[in-house]
This record gives sequence, structure tokens and C-alpha cells, in this order.
Amino acid sequence: MTASVALRRSGRQGLSNPRGRRGRVESLTGWAFVTPATVIIGLFGAAPIIWSLVLSFTNDNGLTSGSAFIGVRNYKALAHDPVVSQAIEHTVVYTALFVPGTMLVGLFLAVAMNRKIRFMWFYRTAAYATMAISTISEALVFIWLFDPSFGIVNYIFSLLHIPQQAFLNSPGEALYVIVVMTIWGWSGFAVVIYLAALQGIPQDLVEAAAIDGAGRWETFRRITLPLLSPASLFLAVWLTINALQLFDEVYLSTRGGPLGATTVLVYYLFEQAFQTNFNFGYASAIAYLLFIVILVVTAIQFRVGRRFTYYRS
Amino acid sequence: MGTYRLRQSPFGAPPARRLLCALAVIGVSALAACGSGSGATSGGSKSIQIWEGWTGAEAKAFAHLVAEYQATHPGVKVSSLFVNNDYTLQKVQTAVAGGNPPDIAYLYGSWAPNVAKLSGVVTLTNVVKRPSVNWNDFWVGERDVATVNGRVIGVPALVDNLAVVYNKALFAKAHLPLPGPNWTWPQFVADARKLTNPAIKQFGTAYVTPGSEDTVWHWEALLWAAGGQILNSSNTKAAFDSRAGLASLNTLRTMAVTDHSMYLDPTDSAYANLFNSGKIGMLVTGPWDLSGFPNVHYGVQIMPSFPGTNGGHQTISGPDNWVVFNNGASRVKTAEDFILWLTAPAQVKYFSLKTGDLPIRQSVGTTGFNAQMDAALPDVSTFTTNLGNVRQARPQIATYPQISQAIGTMVVSVLLGKSQPGPALAAAAAKVNQILAGSG
Repeated sequence: MTASVALRRSGRQGLSNPRGRRGRVESLTGWAFVTPATVIIGLFGAAPIIWSLVLSFTNDNGLTSGSAFIGVRNYKALAHDPVVSQAIEHTVVYTALFVPGTMLVGLFLAVAMNRKIRFMWFYRTAAYATMAISTISEALVFIWLFDPSFGIVNYIFSLLHIPQQAFLNSPGEALYVIVVMTIWGWSGFAVVIYLAALQGIPQDLVEAAAIDGAGRWETFRRITLPLLSPASLFLAVWLTINALQLFDEVYLSTRGGPLGATTVLVYYLFEQAFQTNFNFGYASAIAYLLFIVILVVTAIQFRVGRRFTYYRS
Repeated sequence: MGTYRLRQSPFGAPPARRLLCALAVIGVSALAACGSGSGATSGGSKSIQIWEGWTGAEAKAFAHLVAEYQATHPGVKVSSLFVNNDYTLQKVQTAVAGGNPPDIAYLYGSWAPNVAKLSGVVTLTNVVKRPSVNWNDFWVGERDVATVNGRVIGVPALVDNLAVVYNKALFAKAHLPLPGPNWTWPQFVADARKLTNPAIKQFGTAYVTPGSEDTVWHWEALLWAAGGQILNSSNTKAAFDSRAGLASLNTLRTMAVTDHSMYLDPTDSAYANLFNSGKIGMLVTGPWDLSGFPNVHYGVQIMPSFPGTNGGHQTISGPDNWVVFNNGASRVKTAEDFILWLTAPAQVKYFSLKTGDLPIRQSVGTTGFNAQMDAALPDVSTFTTNLGNVRQARPQIATYPQISQAIGTMVVSVLLGKSQPGPALAAAAAKVNQILAGSG
């Protein structure tokens, strides 16, 4: 939501900006409204963010009181930590599959549901239900679906004479199972966004295209897709930020394994801070590495996206 | 699901949600403040707070004991706060940093070396020496885990151990004699093979393979039974790259890789359901799982031994501790008094009978008591007597979690057929030596 608000702001600047006494009262009222929120966000949002930056330059372990300032040693260690580069690789592979996958599934379902047929309310609810189901239930269901011996996926494979797979027991496959799991979990979100955008597409444009002799595919490619581009940009940014922060599905299904095959950055951070080392300083440095990666990726997405995004005025 | 999940970090959360979170946090901390405030004022120093993670029958039994203590000790107020056991250390760390720790916290034994580093942890060495405590009545495995470098930092809160739970019906169907107390690992492997039937998806046994400490301690029991050690006596070098290490890993490998008689469970959750569904013949597990097997007639037997070694039927135990934190001398005294009362024989007996948890004191486990326990939970007393097979504890050093990780990787890589036991042992030992050298 943040993204769309920011994008629309330029359109609102033309509104009158009343000056004088009334203006001052209004601005005071405004401040009165935002101050509690600002203080709370500052205290519980900004302060921990700044504090973790400070921590990332220390050897704090959260146990003993007092920690030494060790400069950029944590960041230097990051560069030479083989697990960090593996975690980055896993995170990138995951993001590269999850984001387009979720968008495609979401777009397909949204287009399929953007019509007037019976029981549509049911299909829409069903699609959105993936959002309402808790991650733990989702993970448990997928653990059983993909169980190598008892899972339904391998059962279907056996019917189709496809060799049996080890799935979560295989270092080569576990990450892809998590991709499938999370695409399923997030597709409902993409459906809602795309469905809303689809319903905002003016029918006169579609009709005009039809009169000009455009077929269904042509209309979809030339009219619908470009008009969906703001929604696509929003989804790409939002899903990427979430993908880079993947944690719960990994924690609930594989604990980063087998043999580290699903250790993504946030999971490694968690392990460093709370599981093996109690190394808060190093974990904070990983968090900031991730923060910078997200910042850069998002900036690139907005910059590149702007070229392909079409806003109706 | 979706956007409203743990995955969200403060960086990604939209302001509105962050505000909601913040409000929630404020609400909670306000409540907490009320709680501790009233606790500190009413009755002055006689009020203590205890953090525990009991649920179900354990929560009820614990609440009963607290009420009983308050009734028999007028003026003392024990307020307990539920904290998920998995996160207590994190929360205690934060509370210690904030200068307001609980008076008593339930903390996993595996954390003990790190807990010992926390400021404000009260040393109980002299307290447990009091004759009324009868410290040696606690099992040696418990005492070892409550002690870090000779300093007692906790009082045992809960104890368990690993033994073999087997499905009697599956043994009968395979015409196999039930496991006896003198059985060996080769017998276990042979039984597992005969209990396996791929056609009906039935496995001889199972092993948890998330690579976590749960993976590791199962193997450590085998290592000890084979006569091996995890580290040398001064905890300065890995000692598991040995004949015993090889024997124990080969035993597991035979079942997982050669015989395919072992169901590998990377999620650490599926195996119990499968055993309860009659799909697994034998499980190496602890007493906590027994109540999850209502659908099968199971029996419990102590761990097998390795023939030709002096390891015997050793097992491993994972005791947890009550740890006292310093909030001033008088509150420490109140906390100590309460915890000593709570772990005295009468209370231990009550708690075990109500919950099925093993008694933390040796003197409680009499024949009559064991029969009472078995009436509620069949064969649980085998786990109680099996506490006598706990001869050693895991290394009590702060780097153990890292060592555990290296061993976990080793075990999983062998079980998944990714490496051979010999090279896997050597690689893990090298890694462990590196960890030990790094810690000084």
C-alpha cells in the first residue's frame, strides 16, 4: 500500500494549501493526530533499527553485560563466511522463482475470476483463503503432501510413472518445495490485487479494441496487461521484499536443511542470534546486509518499473 | 497468512501495521508493568515471579503446587508467567538487559553454559549443599547439567531420556520376539529390516533429520553405547572420530541407506503420527511421546548395546533447570525457598503422578510409584529406571550449540547417503576442533 500512496502523491499536490490562522490550527490538529503514532513508531520501529545498526559494530552476545566496539569486523567476516554466500544464493534463487511464480499464478486466477459466472463468490473466497490460513497449518499440510513415503505428490508421480522424489529430504529439491509452498500461500494476495486492478479497467477501451478488430489475446496483451502494470509493479516490489525476508516456512518445515540447502539469509541470521552463537553483533550485520540488498533491489525495481508502468491520469 | 506473518520485519511492515504492533506491545508491556508492579508492592519482598512453559496437565499440576505453597506460606506470592520454553532464553536475555529479570525461569539444560554467562544468575552451589536438599538424590545426569565448571546454576526441573518404543502388533505379525533388556544394536538393525515392508509403506524404525540437536543427541547415545566420547576429557578436542564413532554411524547408515528400513523425518514431527498409525516398528524416543500413541499397543525397552564394547546400554538425558535470578537478597531467598520446596520429594511425586513426567529424584521412583505411573501411561516406568543408564552429560561448554551443528550436518549427510561415515567423521571432527580452538 505504501507504494501506491507514494505514487499518487504528485496528483494531490494541486490541492489548496490554506494559509493563515485556520491553516495553523489545522496543521496543529494534524500534528496532534500524528504525534502519538510518530512517537510509538519511533520508539518501537526506528529505535530498534538504529540500535541494531549500533549492535552490528559490536561483539554483543546478549548474555554478558557489556560488549566491545569492534568496528567493521562483523562486516568483514560476512564477506568471508561461506554460509553467507550460500544463504545469499538460496535467497536469490528463491526470490527469482517465487516472485514471478506468484504473479503469474495470481494473474491467471484473477483473469479467470474476472467474469460473471455462478458461485464466483465461492471461487474468490477460496482463492483468498490461502491468505487466511496460518503459516503453520500451511507448512504442516505441505510437509505431508510432499512426504517422500506417504505424500500424495509422490503417489501421483507413481501413477504417472515419474520416479519417486525425496523432496524435503533432498538438498537439491527442498528449496523448490518451499517455493511451491509459498507461491500457494501468497497467490491469494496477488489475486486480490490483480482482481481489483482488472475491475478498474474501463470497458470502453476494451470495446474500442474489439471494434478495431483486436482478438481476445491481442486485447489482453495491448489493453489489459499495460493497464495492470501499476498493480504488477506493486506486487513485484512487495513480493520481492517479502521473499528476501523468507523465514517461517523454512523454520517450520526444514530448519534450514537438509544440509543447509534451505538456509536463507534471515534463517541464518536467526541461527546466529538465537540458536548457535548468540552472536547478536554478527546477526545485526547480516540484518543490515539484507536491508541494503532490499533497498537496492527495490530502488532498481522502481526505476526499471517506471519505464514499463502506465498510469492513467 | 501472507502479509501478516512472522516473515515481516520492521523494514517491510507498512506504518499502519507497525503502529498496531506498537500499540499491541504497549498494551502488553503496560499489563506486564501492572503485573510486576503489584507483585513488587504487595507483601514487599515476598513476591516473586516465575517464568515457565507448562501446558495441559503439567500447567494444572504446577498451578496446584503454587497454590499449595502460597496457602502453606502466608505472605508469599508466586506469580507465574507462561513463556514458550523454546523462547525463554531469548526473553530472559532481553529482561536481563532491561534490568528486570524474572526471579525464576525454566531454561533448557542445553543452554546451561550460556545461561551461566548471564549476569544476575544466582550461584546455587552452597544452597544445594544443604543436607535438607539431598542433592545426590537427583540423577547424576541432572546434576551434571545443572553444573557449569563446578558452579551450580540451577535446580533440575524436568528429566527425560531416550529408550526404544516398539509396536507389539507389528513384532507379532513379523513373528519376531519382543526386544529384551540385553539386546544389541545388530539385533535392532535385523529387527528393523524384518519390520520393513515397502509394499504397505511400513518402516522398521525412524530417525529425525532436521540436523538440529534432536538429530544429534540420538546419535550421541549410540556413540556412548559404542564406548566413544564426544570430546576429550578437557573439552579441548573432538574425540568422536574414533572406532566407536564409526560403529555408531555405520549402524545408522545400514538402516537408512543399505536396508531402507529407516524413515527419515526432516520435519521432526511426522514420525510420531506414523508410529501411532502402525507404520513404524520401533522408535528411539523419550517419554514425552508416549501419550501420543493411543492407537497402538506399544512396549518400551532400554537402548540396545554394542557387543564387544564397555558402553553397555547407555542412554542420554536432556534435563532442564529452574534458574534463579538476582532481584535483591530477600527475593533471591524467597525464590530459593520456593524452588527447593517445589523439587522436594513430595512435590516431585505429585507432579509426576499428575503428568506422567519422570520423577526428577531417584528416591521417588519406588516399585509402588512405578506401578502407579504405568497405570496411567503404559510402560513409562521403563524410562524412569532407564535414568540409571544415563552415565554422562553432553559437554557443558558454551560452544556446544556450534559443535552440535557440525555433528548434525555429519549425521544427516551420512543418513541421506551424501557421504561415507569415515570422511564425514573426519570432516566434522576438524570443524569441531576449529570451533574449540576459536573459543580459546
